[in-house]
Amino acid sequence: MLMTGAQYIESLRKLKTRVYMFGEKIDNWVDHPIIRPSINCVAVTYDLAQDPQYADLMTAKSSLTGETINRFAHLHQSADDLRKKVKMQRLCGQKTASCFQRCVGMDAFNAVFSTTFETDKKYGTKYHENFKKFLEKVQKEDLVVDGAMTDPKGDRGLAPHAQRDADLFVHIVERRDDGIVVRGAKCHQTGSINSHWHIIMPTQAMREEDKDYAVSFACPSDADGLYMVYGRQSCDTRKLEDGADVDLGNKQFGGQEALVVFDDVFIPNEYIFQAGEYDFAGMMVERFAGYHRQSYGGCKVGVGDVLIGAAALAAEYNGAQKASHVKDKLIEMTHLNETLYCCGIACSAEGYATEAGNYQIDLLLANVCKQNVTRFPYEIVRLAEDIAGGLMVTMPSETDFKSDLKVGRNGETIGEICNKYFAASPACTTEERMRVLRFLENICLGASAVGYRTESMHGAGSPQAQRIMISRQGNIEGKKELAKAIAGIK
Amino acid sequence: MKCGVRFCGGCNPRYDRGKAYEEIKNKIKSVDFLHAVEDDRYDCLLVIGGCTNCCASYDQFDVKGDVLKMWDQDHIGKIEKNFSAFQDCKTEDDNK
Repeated sequence: MLMTGAQYIESLRKLKTRVYMFGEKIDNWVDHPIIRPSINCVAVTYDLAQDPQYADLMTAKSSLTGETINRFAHLHQSADDLRKKVKMQRLCGQKTASCFQRCVGMDAFNAVFSTTFETDKKYGTKYHENFKKFLEKVQKEDLVVDGAMTDPKGDRGLAPHAQRDADLFVHIVERRDDGIVVRGAKCHQTGSINSHWHIIMPTQAMREEDKDYAVSFACPSDADGLYMVYGRQSCDTRKLEDGADVDLGNKQFGGQEALVVFDDVFIPNEYIFQAGEYDFAGMMVERFAGYHRQSYGGCKVGVGDVLIGAAALAAEYNGAQKASHVKDKLIEMTHLNETLYCCGIACSAEGYATEAGNYQIDLLLANVCKQNVTRFPYEIVRLAEDIAGGLMVTMPSETDFKSDLKVGRNGETIGEICNKYFAASPACTTEERMRVLRFLENICLGASAVGYRTESMHGAGSPQAQRIMISRQGNIEGKKELAKAIAGIK
Repeated sequence: MKCGVRFCGGCNPRYDRGKAYEEIKNKIKSVDFLHAVEDDRYDCLLVIGGCTNCCASYDQFDVKGDVLKMWDQDHIGKIEKNFSAFQDCKTEDDNK
Protein backbone atom coordinates (compact mmCIF):
# COMPACT_ATOMS: atom_id res chain seq x y z
CA MET A 1 0.00 0.00 0.00
CA LEU A 2 1.57 3.28 -1.10
CA MET A 3 1.65 5.91 1.63
CA THR A 4 1.17 9.64 1.07
CA GLY A 5 3.80 12.08 2.27
CA ALA A 6 1.57 13.06 5.18
CA GLN A 7 1.07 9.41 6.16
CA TYR A 8 4.83 8.87 6.04
CA ILE A 9 5.43 11.81 8.38
CA GLU A 10 2.79 10.50 10.79
CA SER A 11 4.34 7.02 10.66
CA LEU A 12 7.61 8.48 11.99
CA ARG A 13 5.84 9.71 15.11
CA LYS A 14 5.22 6.10 16.13
CA LEU A 15 8.96 5.39 16.27
CA LYS A 16 10.96 5.78 19.46
CA THR A 17 14.19 6.61 17.66
CA ARG A 18 16.80 8.08 20.02
CA VAL A 19 18.22 11.29 18.53
CA TYR A 20 20.79 13.67 20.05
CA MET A 21 21.79 17.12 18.82
CA PHE A 22 23.82 19.95 20.40
CA GLY A 23 24.39 17.72 23.44
CA GLU A 24 20.72 17.13 24.14
CA LYS A 25 18.15 14.40 23.51
CA ILE A 26 15.59 15.52 20.93
CA ASP A 27 12.24 13.96 21.83
CA ASN A 28 10.10 15.50 19.10
CA TRP A 29 12.57 15.20 16.24
CA VAL A 30 9.79 15.03 13.63
CA ASP A 31 8.91 18.70 14.17
CA HIS A 32 12.37 19.99 15.02
CA PRO A 33 13.10 22.97 12.72
CA ILE A 34 16.60 21.73 11.85
CA ILE A 35 15.46 18.17 11.08
CA ARG A 36 12.02 18.73 9.53
CA PRO A 37 13.17 19.95 6.08
CA SER A 38 14.93 16.59 5.54
CA ILE A 39 11.72 14.77 6.48
CA ASN A 40 9.75 16.94 4.04
CA CYS A 41 12.24 15.93 1.39
CA VAL A 42 11.59 12.20 1.87
CA ALA A 43 7.85 12.93 1.94
CA VAL A 44 8.18 14.18 -1.66
CA THR A 45 9.18 10.66 -2.75
CA TYR A 46 5.78 9.51 -1.46
CA ASP A 47 3.70 12.33 -2.90
CA LEU A 48 5.22 12.10 -6.37
CA ALA A 49 4.34 8.39 -6.47
CA GLN A 50 0.67 9.34 -6.02
CA ASP A 51 0.70 11.82 -8.93
CA PRO A 52 -0.24 10.42 -12.37
CA GLN A 53 2.21 12.84 -13.98
CA TYR A 54 5.11 11.11 -12.22
CA ALA A 55 3.84 7.61 -11.42
CA ASP A 56 5.57 5.98 -14.41
CA LEU A 57 8.93 6.74 -12.84
CA MET A 58 8.00 6.73 -9.18
CA THR A 59 6.28 3.33 -9.07
CA ALA A 60 7.08 -0.17 -10.30
CA LYS A 61 5.59 -3.64 -10.23
CA SER A 62 7.17 -5.71 -7.45
CA SER A 63 9.07 -8.76 -8.65
CA LEU A 64 8.27 -10.38 -5.28
CA THR A 65 4.53 -9.74 -4.95
CA GLY A 66 3.26 -8.35 -8.26
CA GLU A 67 1.90 -5.33 -6.41
CA THR A 68 2.52 -1.71 -7.39
CA ILE A 69 5.23 -0.33 -5.12
CA ASN A 70 7.34 2.78 -4.78
CA ARG A 71 10.35 2.43 -7.09
CA PHE A 72 12.61 3.23 -4.14
CA ALA A 73 11.75 -0.27 -2.82
CA HIS A 74 12.15 -2.02 -6.18
CA LEU A 75 14.55 -4.73 -7.35
CA HIS A 76 15.59 -3.65 -10.85
CA GLN A 77 14.32 -6.20 -13.37
CA SER A 78 15.83 -4.80 -16.57
CA ALA A 79 18.12 -2.16 -18.00
CA ASP A 80 14.97 -0.10 -18.50
CA ASP A 81 14.36 -0.26 -14.74
CA LEU A 82 17.91 0.97 -14.16
CA ARG A 83 17.33 3.91 -16.52
CA LYS A 84 14.04 4.73 -14.84
CA LYS A 85 15.79 4.74 -11.48
CA VAL A 86 18.17 7.47 -12.70
CA LYS A 87 15.30 9.45 -14.20
CA MET A 88 13.34 9.19 -10.95
CA GLN A 89 16.33 10.52 -9.04
CA ARG A 90 16.69 13.45 -11.42
CA LEU A 91 13.00 14.22 -10.94
CA CYS A 92 13.28 14.12 -7.13
CA GLY A 93 16.35 16.38 -7.24
CA GLN A 94 14.41 18.86 -9.37
CA LYS A 95 11.52 18.90 -6.91
CA THR A 96 13.61 19.32 -3.73
CA ALA A 97 16.99 20.86 -4.72
CA SER A 98 18.32 18.63 -1.93
CA CYS A 99 19.38 15.11 -1.11
CA PHE A 100 16.09 13.19 -0.77
CA GLN A 101 17.84 10.40 1.14
CA ARG A 102 15.90 7.37 -0.03
CA CYS A 103 18.45 6.11 -2.58
CA VAL A 104 20.80 4.42 -0.12
CA GLY A 105 18.06 2.00 0.89
CA MET A 106 17.18 1.17 -2.73
CA ASP A 107 20.84 0.60 -3.59
CA ALA A 108 21.28 -1.59 -0.50
CA PHE A 109 18.22 -3.70 -1.42
CA ASN A 110 19.65 -4.51 -4.83
CA ALA A 111 23.18 -5.19 -3.60
CA VAL A 112 22.09 -7.39 -0.67
CA PHE A 113 19.56 -9.29 -2.81
CA SER A 114 22.15 -10.49 -5.30
CA THR A 115 24.98 -11.00 -2.80
CA THR A 116 22.90 -13.13 -0.42
CA PHE A 117 21.82 -15.30 -3.36
CA GLU A 118 25.44 -16.09 -4.21
CA THR A 119 26.42 -16.48 -0.54
CA ASP A 120 23.67 -19.07 0.00
CA LYS A 121 24.76 -20.92 -3.12
CA LYS A 122 28.26 -21.37 -1.69
CA TYR A 123 27.51 -21.87 2.00
CA GLY A 124 23.94 -23.21 2.09
CA THR A 125 22.88 -20.33 4.33
CA LYS A 126 19.36 -18.83 4.34
CA TYR A 127 20.27 -15.17 3.98
CA HIS A 128 18.52 -14.70 0.64
CA GLU A 129 15.19 -15.95 2.02
CA ASN A 130 15.67 -13.72 5.08
CA PHE A 131 16.25 -10.76 2.84
CA LYS A 132 13.32 -11.45 0.52
CA LYS A 133 10.94 -11.65 3.50
CA PHE A 134 12.31 -8.39 4.85
CA LEU A 135 11.99 -6.65 1.50
CA GLU A 136 8.41 -7.88 1.06
CA LYS A 137 7.59 -6.17 4.35
CA VAL A 138 9.33 -2.98 3.22
CA GLN A 139 7.45 -2.98 -0.08
CA LYS A 140 4.09 -3.81 1.49
CA GLU A 141 4.39 -1.15 4.19
CA ASP A 142 6.13 1.38 1.88
CA LEU A 143 8.95 1.94 4.38
CA VAL A 144 12.09 4.08 4.21
CA VAL A 145 15.27 2.11 4.91
CA ASP A 146 18.71 3.60 5.44
CA GLY A 147 21.42 1.61 3.71
CA ALA A 148 24.36 2.02 6.07
CA MET A 149 27.87 1.17 4.94
CA THR A 150 30.53 3.64 6.13
CA ASP A 151 32.29 2.76 9.39
CA PRO A 152 34.43 5.30 11.29
CA LYS A 153 37.48 3.23 10.17
CA GLY A 154 39.95 4.67 12.72
CA ASP A 155 43.54 4.30 11.52
CA ARG A 156 43.17 3.87 7.75
CA GLY A 157 46.42 1.92 7.65
CA LEU A 158 45.06 -0.88 9.82
CA ALA A 159 42.57 -3.69 9.17
CA PRO A 160 39.38 -3.80 11.29
CA HIS A 161 40.71 -6.47 13.69
CA ALA A 162 44.00 -4.58 14.16
CA GLN A 163 42.48 -1.25 15.28
CA ARG A 164 43.32 -0.01 18.79
CA ASP A 165 39.58 0.23 19.43
CA ALA A 166 37.73 -2.86 18.17
CA ASP A 167 34.50 -0.89 17.73
CA LEU A 168 35.71 1.33 14.89
CA PHE A 169 34.08 -1.09 12.47
CA VAL A 170 30.66 -2.63 13.19
CA HIS A 171 31.23 -6.18 14.37
CA ILE A 172 29.64 -9.20 15.98
CA VAL A 173 30.38 -9.34 19.72
CA GLU A 174 28.19 -12.32 20.57
CA ARG A 175 26.66 -15.22 18.65
CA ARG A 176 23.51 -16.77 20.12
CA ASP A 177 21.20 -19.52 18.89
CA ASP A 178 18.55 -16.95 18.08
CA GLY A 179 20.74 -14.21 16.62
CA ILE A 180 23.80 -11.99 17.04
CA VAL A 181 24.75 -8.95 19.10
CA VAL A 182 26.52 -6.16 17.20
CA ARG A 183 28.59 -3.17 18.30
CA GLY A 184 30.13 -0.21 16.48
CA ALA A 185 28.92 2.77 14.48
CA LYS A 186 28.17 3.99 10.97
CA CYS A 187 29.15 7.55 10.00
CA HIS A 188 27.65 10.12 7.62
CA GLN A 189 24.36 8.24 7.51
CA THR A 190 22.09 10.02 5.08
CA GLY A 191 18.45 9.96 6.08
CA SER A 192 19.07 7.67 9.04
CA ILE A 193 16.84 9.47 11.55
CA ASN A 194 13.80 9.57 9.30
CA SER A 195 14.16 5.95 8.16
CA HIS A 196 11.89 3.27 9.60
CA TRP A 197 14.60 0.60 9.35
CA HIS A 198 18.32 0.28 8.68
CA ILE A 199 20.22 -2.21 6.52
CA ILE A 200 23.82 -2.52 7.64
CA MET A 201 26.55 -3.64 5.25
CA PRO A 202 30.32 -4.05 5.70
CA THR A 203 32.38 -1.05 4.66
CA GLN A 204 35.14 -2.85 2.75
CA ALA A 205 36.39 -6.24 1.59
CA MET A 206 37.41 -8.39 4.55
CA ARG A 207 39.94 -11.15 5.23
CA GLU A 208 39.51 -14.19 7.47
CA GLU A 209 40.90 -12.42 10.54
CA ASP A 210 38.14 -9.80 10.07
CA LYS A 211 35.27 -12.26 9.75
CA ASP A 212 33.36 -10.82 12.73
CA TYR A 213 33.31 -7.54 10.80
CA ALA A 214 31.79 -9.18 7.73
CA VAL A 215 28.24 -8.56 8.90
CA SER A 216 25.02 -7.43 7.24
CA PHE A 217 21.59 -7.20 8.81
CA ALA A 218 18.38 -5.19 9.10
CA CYS A 219 17.15 -3.56 12.30
CA PRO A 220 14.45 -1.05 13.23
CA SER A 221 15.71 2.52 13.65
CA ASP A 222 14.41 2.49 17.22
CA ALA A 223 15.97 -0.85 18.23
CA ASP A 224 17.23 -1.19 21.81
CA GLY A 225 20.82 -0.01 22.00
CA LEU A 226 20.66 2.04 18.79
CA TYR A 227 20.97 5.84 18.88
CA MET A 228 21.98 8.68 16.57
CA VAL A 229 23.91 11.92 16.88
CA TYR A 230 22.77 14.51 14.34
CA GLY A 231 25.40 15.93 11.98
CA ARG A 232 25.39 19.70 11.81
CA GLN A 233 25.45 21.57 8.53
CA SER A 234 26.70 24.95 7.42
CA CYS A 235 24.21 27.71 8.45
CA ASP A 236 21.99 25.13 10.23
CA THR A 237 21.04 27.37 13.16
CA ARG A 238 19.48 29.89 10.78
CA LYS A 239 16.55 27.45 10.88
CA LEU A 240 16.13 28.24 14.59
CA GLU A 241 15.69 31.98 13.99
CA ASP A 242 12.17 33.33 14.53
CA GLY A 243 10.25 33.60 11.25
CA ALA A 244 13.26 32.54 9.16
CA ASP A 245 12.33 32.34 5.50
CA VAL A 246 14.37 34.22 2.87
CA ASP A 247 17.66 33.66 4.70
CA LEU A 248 17.20 29.89 4.58
CA GLY A 249 17.37 29.78 0.79
CA ASN A 250 15.41 26.54 0.79
CA LYS A 251 12.92 26.71 3.64
CA GLN A 252 11.05 23.55 2.81
CA PHE A 253 13.67 20.93 1.96
CA GLY A 254 17.12 19.75 3.04
CA GLY A 255 19.34 16.74 3.61
CA GLN A 256 20.31 14.94 6.78
CA GLU A 257 23.28 12.94 8.08
CA ALA A 258 24.00 11.38 11.45
CA LEU A 259 26.34 9.14 13.37
CA VAL A 260 24.45 5.89 14.04
CA VAL A 261 25.69 3.98 17.10
CA PHE A 262 25.11 0.27 17.74
CA ASP A 263 25.61 -0.11 21.46
CA ASP A 264 25.20 -3.90 21.69
CA VAL A 265 22.13 -4.31 19.51
CA PHE A 266 20.53 -7.75 19.28
CA ILE A 267 19.69 -8.89 15.74
CA PRO A 268 17.36 -11.92 15.43
CA ASN A 269 18.39 -14.61 12.89
CA GLU A 270 15.61 -13.67 10.47
CA TYR A 271 17.17 -10.25 9.85
CA ILE A 272 20.75 -11.42 9.29
CA PHE A 273 22.11 -11.29 5.69
CA GLN A 274 25.81 -11.95 6.39
CA ALA A 275 27.57 -13.09 9.56
CA GLY A 276 31.17 -14.06 8.99
CA GLU A 277 31.19 -14.96 5.26
CA TYR A 278 34.10 -12.56 4.78
CA ASP A 279 34.69 -13.58 1.16
CA PHE A 280 31.33 -11.99 0.23
CA ALA A 281 31.92 -8.69 2.03
CA GLY A 282 33.75 -7.23 -0.95
CA MET A 283 31.00 -8.29 -3.37
CA MET A 284 28.34 -6.53 -1.29
CA VAL A 285 30.44 -3.37 -1.03
CA GLU A 286 31.27 -3.31 -4.72
CA ARG A 287 27.68 -3.83 -5.80
CA PHE A 288 26.27 -1.23 -3.42
CA ALA A 289 28.96 1.27 -4.42
CA GLY A 290 28.26 0.62 -8.09
CA TYR A 291 24.55 1.31 -7.72
CA HIS A 292 25.23 4.37 -5.61
CA ARG A 293 27.74 5.75 -8.11
CA GLN A 294 25.03 5.36 -10.76
CA SER A 295 22.55 7.17 -8.46
CA TYR A 296 24.62 10.35 -8.49
CA GLY A 297 24.14 10.55 -12.26
CA GLY A 298 20.48 11.27 -11.47
CA CYS A 299 20.09 13.05 -8.13
CA LYS A 300 22.92 15.57 -8.56
CA VAL A 301 21.68 16.31 -12.06
CA GLY A 302 18.22 17.17 -10.74
CA VAL A 303 19.68 19.53 -8.15
CA GLY A 304 21.91 20.93 -10.91
CA ASP A 305 18.82 21.65 -13.00
CA VAL A 306 17.43 23.87 -10.23
CA LEU A 307 20.80 25.50 -9.64
CA ILE A 308 21.16 26.39 -13.32
CA GLY A 309 17.63 27.81 -13.28
CA ALA A 310 18.47 29.89 -10.22
CA ALA A 311 21.66 31.22 -11.84
CA ALA A 312 19.65 32.20 -14.94
CA LEU A 313 17.11 33.97 -12.71
CA ALA A 314 19.88 35.79 -10.83
CA ALA A 315 21.29 37.00 -14.14
CA GLU A 316 17.83 38.21 -15.16
CA TYR A 317 17.24 39.94 -11.83
CA ASN A 318 20.67 41.60 -12.05
CA GLY A 319 19.79 42.79 -15.59
CA ALA A 320 22.75 40.84 -16.99
CA GLN A 321 20.90 38.12 -18.88
CA LYS A 322 21.81 39.46 -22.33
CA ALA A 323 25.56 39.48 -21.70
CA SER A 324 27.17 36.90 -23.97
CA HIS A 325 29.51 35.60 -21.26
CA VAL A 326 26.53 34.96 -18.97
CA LYS A 327 24.73 33.03 -21.71
CA ASP A 328 27.91 31.04 -22.33
CA LYS A 329 28.30 30.19 -18.65
CA LEU A 330 24.74 28.89 -18.54
CA ILE A 331 25.50 26.75 -21.58
CA GLU A 332 28.63 25.40 -19.89
CA MET A 333 26.69 24.58 -16.72
CA THR A 334 24.06 22.75 -18.78
CA HIS A 335 26.74 20.88 -20.71
CA LEU A 336 28.39 19.68 -17.51
CA ASN A 337 25.08 18.72 -15.92
CA GLU A 338 23.87 16.76 -18.94
CA THR A 339 27.25 15.01 -19.17
CA LEU A 340 26.64 13.61 -15.68
CA TYR A 341 23.19 12.48 -16.79
CA CYS A 342 24.70 10.78 -19.87
CA CYS A 343 26.94 8.77 -17.53
CA GLY A 344 24.01 7.76 -15.32
CA ILE A 345 21.97 6.64 -18.31
CA ALA A 346 24.92 4.90 -19.99
CA CYS A 347 25.86 2.71 -17.02
CA SER A 348 22.17 1.79 -16.72
CA ALA A 349 21.68 1.00 -20.41
CA GLU A 350 24.68 -1.38 -20.21
CA GLY A 351 23.26 -3.15 -17.14
CA TYR A 352 23.14 -6.93 -16.86
CA ALA A 353 21.26 -9.61 -14.91
CA THR A 354 22.90 -11.00 -11.76
CA GLU A 355 22.61 -14.68 -10.80
CA ALA A 356 19.75 -13.70 -8.49
CA GLY A 357 17.87 -12.11 -11.40
CA ASN A 358 17.95 -8.42 -10.54
CA TYR A 359 19.92 -6.02 -12.72
CA GLN A 360 23.34 -4.58 -11.97
CA ILE A 361 24.83 -1.49 -13.62
CA ASP A 362 27.98 -1.50 -15.77
CA LEU A 363 30.67 -1.04 -13.13
CA LEU A 364 33.22 0.82 -15.26
CA LEU A 365 30.70 3.36 -16.53
CA ALA A 366 29.18 3.85 -13.06
CA ASN A 367 32.62 4.64 -11.67
CA VAL A 368 33.29 7.06 -14.51
CA CYS A 369 29.92 8.66 -13.68
CA LYS A 370 30.82 9.18 -10.03
CA GLN A 371 34.35 10.35 -10.86
CA ASN A 372 32.80 13.13 -12.95
CA VAL A 373 30.41 13.90 -10.09
CA THR A 374 33.44 14.56 -7.85
CA ARG A 375 34.34 17.42 -10.24
CA PHE A 376 31.50 18.87 -12.28
CA PRO A 377 29.20 20.11 -9.48
CA TYR A 378 32.15 22.16 -8.19
CA GLU A 379 32.54 23.82 -11.59
CA ILE A 380 28.77 24.31 -11.89
CA VAL A 381 28.77 25.99 -8.45
CA ARG A 382 31.76 28.16 -9.43
CA LEU A 383 29.91 29.38 -12.51
CA ALA A 384 26.72 29.98 -10.51
CA GLU A 385 28.66 32.12 -8.02
CA ASP A 386 30.29 33.96 -10.92
CA ILE A 387 26.89 34.81 -12.42
CA ALA A 388 25.21 35.62 -9.08
CA GLY A 389 27.82 38.10 -7.87
CA GLY A 390 29.20 38.68 -4.37
CA LEU A 391 25.89 39.81 -2.95
CA MET A 392 24.85 36.19 -2.40
CA VAL A 393 27.23 36.14 0.57
CA THR A 394 27.31 39.79 1.68
CA MET A 395 23.70 40.93 1.79
CA PRO A 396 22.08 41.90 5.08
CA SER A 397 19.63 39.58 6.80
CA GLU A 398 15.93 39.42 5.99
CA THR A 399 15.32 40.99 9.40
CA ASP A 400 17.16 44.08 8.14
CA PHE A 401 15.10 44.13 4.96
CA LYS A 402 11.95 44.12 7.10
CA SER A 403 13.24 46.44 9.85
CA ASP A 404 11.34 49.65 10.58
CA LEU A 405 14.11 51.10 12.71
CA LYS A 406 14.62 54.68 11.55
CA VAL A 407 18.27 55.34 10.71
CA GLY A 408 18.33 57.75 7.75
CA ARG A 409 18.71 61.50 7.62
CA ASN A 410 15.12 61.77 6.46
CA GLY A 411 13.78 59.07 8.75
CA GLU A 412 14.32 56.16 6.35
CA THR A 413 14.18 52.73 8.00
CA ILE A 414 16.85 50.05 7.67
CA GLY A 415 14.36 48.11 5.53
CA GLU A 416 13.85 51.06 3.18
CA ILE A 417 17.60 51.61 2.89
CA CYS A 418 18.24 47.94 2.12
CA ASN A 419 15.44 47.84 -0.43
CA LYS A 420 16.73 51.07 -2.04
CA TYR A 421 20.32 49.92 -2.42
CA PHE A 422 19.69 46.31 -3.36
CA ALA A 423 17.05 46.94 -6.01
CA ALA A 424 18.19 45.94 -9.49
CA SER A 425 16.18 45.04 -12.61
CA PRO A 426 12.49 46.04 -12.68
CA ALA A 427 11.86 42.40 -13.65
CA CYS A 428 11.78 41.52 -9.96
CA THR A 429 11.17 42.87 -6.48
CA THR A 430 14.14 43.28 -4.18
CA GLU A 431 12.82 40.41 -2.10
CA GLU A 432 12.68 38.12 -5.14
CA ARG A 433 16.30 39.01 -5.90
CA MET A 434 17.25 38.24 -2.29
CA ARG A 435 15.38 34.95 -2.46
CA VAL A 436 17.20 33.64 -5.50
CA LEU A 437 20.58 34.76 -4.17
CA ARG A 438 19.97 33.08 -0.80
CA PHE A 439 18.84 29.97 -2.66
CA LEU A 440 22.16 29.96 -4.53
CA GLU A 441 24.03 30.53 -1.27
CA ASN A 442 22.20 27.55 0.25
CA ILE A 443 23.34 25.16 -2.49
CA CYS A 444 26.80 26.63 -3.10
CA LEU A 445 27.99 26.94 0.49
CA GLY A 446 25.04 26.67 2.88
CA ALA A 447 23.14 23.68 4.28
CA SER A 448 22.49 22.10 0.87
CA ALA A 449 26.18 22.28 -0.08
CA VAL A 450 26.54 19.20 2.13
CA GLY A 451 24.57 17.28 -0.48
CA TYR A 452 25.63 19.08 -3.65
CA ARG A 453 29.34 19.57 -3.00
CA THR A 454 31.02 17.44 -0.33
CA GLU A 455 28.63 14.52 -0.81
CA SER A 456 29.47 14.70 -4.53
CA MET A 457 33.12 14.36 -3.55
CA HIS A 458 32.93 11.64 -0.89
CA GLY A 459 29.44 10.10 -1.02
CA ALA A 460 29.40 6.62 -2.64
CA GLY A 461 33.17 6.60 -2.19
CA SER A 462 35.91 9.21 -2.47
CA PRO A 463 37.52 9.90 -5.87
CA GLN A 464 40.41 7.48 -5.37
CA ALA A 465 37.96 4.61 -4.84
CA GLN A 466 36.56 5.21 -8.32
CA ARG A 467 40.04 5.45 -9.84
CA ILE A 468 40.92 2.05 -8.39
CA MET A 469 37.77 0.57 -9.97
CA ILE A 470 38.44 2.34 -13.28
CA SER A 471 41.96 0.94 -13.20
CA ARG A 472 40.62 -2.60 -12.61
CA GLN A 473 37.94 -2.36 -15.27
CA GLY A 474 39.77 -0.23 -17.83
CA ASN A 475 41.43 -3.12 -19.74
CA ILE A 476 44.74 -1.38 -20.47
CA GLU A 477 46.21 -4.67 -21.76
CA GLY A 478 43.43 -4.92 -24.33
CA LYS A 479 44.06 -1.36 -25.40
CA LYS A 480 47.77 -2.09 -25.83
CA GLU A 481 46.87 -4.98 -28.14
CA LEU A 482 44.72 -2.64 -30.22
CA ALA A 483 47.63 -0.26 -30.61
CA LYS A 484 50.06 -3.07 -31.45
CA ALA A 485 47.76 -4.49 -34.13
CA ILE A 486 47.47 -1.19 -35.98
CA ALA A 487 51.09 -0.12 -35.47
CA GLY A 488 52.37 -3.44 -36.77
CA ILE A 489 53.99 -4.54 -33.48
CA LYS A 490 54.12 -8.29 -32.84
CA MET B 1 -15.32 7.34 -26.18
CA LYS B 2 -13.12 6.52 -23.21
CA CYS B 3 -9.44 7.39 -23.50
CA GLY B 4 -6.86 6.30 -20.95
CA VAL B 5 -4.06 8.76 -20.30
CA ARG B 6 -0.53 7.79 -19.32
CA PHE B 7 2.19 10.34 -18.59
CA CYS B 8 5.89 9.57 -18.77
CA GLY B 9 7.56 10.10 -15.38
CA GLY B 10 8.62 13.66 -16.17
CA CYS B 11 12.36 13.54 -15.37
CA ASN B 12 13.22 16.43 -17.70
CA PRO B 13 10.18 17.42 -19.77
CA ARG B 14 10.73 19.98 -22.53
CA TYR B 15 7.23 21.42 -22.09
CA ASP B 16 4.49 21.48 -19.43
CA ARG B 17 2.80 18.10 -19.88
CA GLY B 18 0.04 18.89 -17.38
CA LYS B 19 -0.94 22.07 -19.21
CA ALA B 20 -0.86 20.28 -22.55
CA TYR B 21 -3.23 17.64 -21.14
CA GLU B 22 -5.62 20.33 -19.88
CA GLU B 23 -5.56 21.96 -23.32
CA ILE B 24 -6.39 18.65 -25.01
CA LYS B 25 -9.28 18.05 -22.60
CA ASN B 26 -10.64 21.53 -23.27
CA LYS B 27 -10.40 21.13 -27.04
CA ILE B 28 -11.83 17.62 -27.25
CA LYS B 29 -14.89 17.66 -25.02
CA SER B 30 -16.55 14.63 -26.58
CA VAL B 31 -13.93 12.21 -25.21
CA ASP B 32 -13.72 11.01 -21.61
CA PHE B 33 -10.07 11.29 -20.63
CA LEU B 34 -9.14 9.23 -17.57
CA HIS B 35 -5.80 8.47 -15.93
CA ALA B 36 -5.16 4.89 -17.07
CA VAL B 37 -5.40 2.11 -14.48
CA GLU B 38 -4.88 -1.60 -14.99
CA ASP B 39 -8.31 -2.91 -14.11
CA ASP B 40 -10.20 -0.86 -16.69
CA ARG B 41 -10.64 -1.01 -20.48
CA TYR B 42 -10.17 1.93 -22.84
CA ASP B 43 -11.16 2.70 -26.43
CA CYS B 44 -7.76 4.30 -26.94
CA LEU B 45 -4.74 5.45 -24.98
CA LEU B 46 -3.01 8.83 -25.00
CA VAL B 47 0.65 8.71 -23.95
CA ILE B 48 2.04 12.11 -22.97
CA GLY B 49 5.84 12.07 -23.01
CA GLY B 50 8.07 14.96 -21.97
CA CYS B 51 10.75 14.44 -24.64
CA THR B 52 11.35 12.53 -27.86
CA ASN B 53 12.11 9.33 -25.93
CA CYS B 54 8.46 9.17 -24.78
CA CYS B 55 9.47 6.36 -22.40
CA ALA B 56 6.19 5.87 -20.50
CA SER B 57 5.23 2.23 -20.01
CA TYR B 58 1.74 1.34 -21.24
CA ASP B 59 1.70 -2.37 -22.21
CA GLN B 60 -0.02 -3.10 -18.90
CA PHE B 61 -3.23 -1.31 -19.94
CA ASP B 62 -6.20 -2.89 -21.73
CA VAL B 63 -6.73 -0.79 -24.85
CA LYS B 64 -9.14 -1.75 -27.66
CA GLY B 65 -7.98 0.79 -30.21
CA ASP B 66 -4.94 2.87 -31.00
CA VAL B 67 -2.23 4.25 -28.78
CA LEU B 68 -1.60 7.94 -29.53
CA LYS B 69 1.75 9.37 -28.47
CA MET B 70 2.84 12.96 -28.06
CA TRP B 71 6.13 14.39 -26.82
CA ASP B 72 5.91 18.03 -27.87
CA GLN B 73 3.53 20.92 -27.31
CA ASP B 74 3.11 21.15 -31.08
CA HIS B 75 1.60 17.67 -31.19
CA ILE B 76 -1.66 18.85 -29.65
CA GLY B 77 -3.08 19.67 -33.10
CA LYS B 78 -2.12 16.22 -34.39
CA ILE B 79 -3.81 14.58 -31.41
CA GLU B 80 -6.94 16.65 -32.05
CA LYS B 81 -7.04 15.50 -35.69
CA ASN B 82 -6.54 11.89 -34.67
CA PHE B 83 -9.48 12.02 -32.29
CA SER B 84 -11.68 13.56 -34.98
CA ALA B 85 -10.72 10.69 -37.30
CA PHE B 86 -11.42 8.17 -34.54
CA GLN B 87 -14.81 9.58 -33.91
CA ASP B 88 -15.68 9.64 -37.62
CA CYS B 89 -14.79 5.94 -37.75
CA LYS B 90 -16.78 5.24 -34.63
CA THR B 91 -19.86 7.01 -36.05
CA GLU B 92 -19.56 4.93 -39.23
CA ASP B 93 -19.33 1.75 -37.14
CA ASP B 94 -22.36 2.77 -35.13
CA ASN B 95 -24.36 3.34 -38.33
CA LYS B 96 -23.56 -0.12 -39.73
